[in-house]
Amino acid sequence: MQPGSAPIPALQGVRYLVAVASGKGGVGKSTVAANLALALQMHGQRVGLMDADIYGPSIPMMMGLGHVDPQTTAFPVEKYGLKLMSLGFLPDAGKGVLLRGPMVAKWVATFLTQINWGDLDYLLIDMPPGTGDAQLTLCQTAPLTGAVIVTTPQDVSLIDAVKALNMFRQLKTPVLGVIENMSYFVGDDGKRYEIFRHGGGLKLAAETGVPFLGNIPIDPRVAECGDAGEPIIRHHPETPVAQAYLTLAGALMHRAAKAMPGGLPEVQL
Amino acid sequence: MSAGAELKPLSLRREGDGLAIDWSDGVSTFVAWRTLRTNCPCASCNEKRQKPADPFKLVSEKEVAAGAPEPVRMSPRGRYAYQIVWNDGHDTGIFTLEQLRQLSTPRTN
Repeated sequence: MQPGSAPIPALQGVRYLVAVASGKGGVGKSTVAANLALALQMHGQRVGLMDADIYGPSIPMMMGLGHVDPQTTAFPVEKYGLKLMSLGFLPDAGKGVLLRGPMVAKWVATFLTQINWGDLDYLLIDMPPGTGDAQLTLCQTAPLTGAVIVTTPQDVSLIDAVKALNMFRQLKTPVLGVIENMSYFVGDDGKRYEIFRHGGGLKLAAETGVPFLGNIPIDPRVAECGDAGEPIIRHHPETPVAQAYLTLAGALMHRAAKAMPGGLPEVQL
Repeated sequence: MSAGAELKPLSLRREGDGLAIDWSDGVSTFVAWRTLRTNCPCASCNEKRQKPADPFKLVSEKEVAAGAPEPVRMSPRGRYAYQIVWNDGHDTGIFTLEQLRQLSTPRTN
């Protein structure tokens, strides 16, 4: 953990703690988090991925995992060389999650403080959409290195991305950059189609003074690979999408290295 | 530097009946524990402050036993605030850095 950060034993071996967030649901946040985690690993980093989407955990499916027996399984679960934790691993979670805010906050805090994450270069946190209990708990409990904001190009996503960005700023959590997902589609004819328009992420970054980390194109195989339990960057590393994630991971590593150390000094009482 | 986004405390320590803070802009400030307790930013304290003072309020045994307000613990909350656990048992107040700066007064050496 970086110097000056609050001493949470479970996170002592984690160098960079990065939230992957968005204001809006459905922008592909979990897909980005899963592929970005693997891209960082391909850059030689030791990586963990914590699924903080308590209501809709999707990391287990994307990583080809299901429920495990919590009595006999050591957490975090390991797959593809990543350390993973999600409420979706617990069998009861499949019955439908009806939780009030304080319980969501409790689960997020539990994942951060009770799971032995060990030595990691990066712990990515796949956030639920919005600016609620999970986000607040995360920013209060852990001294994040920073957050990356995922958006799609259209205005309806950008409006909520700004809210998420402002929330992190209010909580003094650095925003490491903006990622534009579903940026464009390259057809069999070689032409580039901007299905949801293009450039919204870049515009958001420019208007808010935040670095733009990159575009991720649309590829139907992204969804197929996610549903099949092996993210596209592993299954089709030759695709433009996979290459985009590798570039993105490099940009994130650059920003994280430049980020100010997290945490506040302890009070001498 | 104003009390804006870049302002951070460099050190915080108990001094007498209050808290001394050295800030990243070079300013040192002091705030009495009583001032912090009176201005607790939690929802229930905020609500109490908005009501007229109750002249017939009975002081609880716990409040009497606690005496003058003193922190039992004061812990960082992420990058933006500190949470104080008071000797009267109250623990829901989270003071942002801006609030700590506003409630404290600069020291002149």
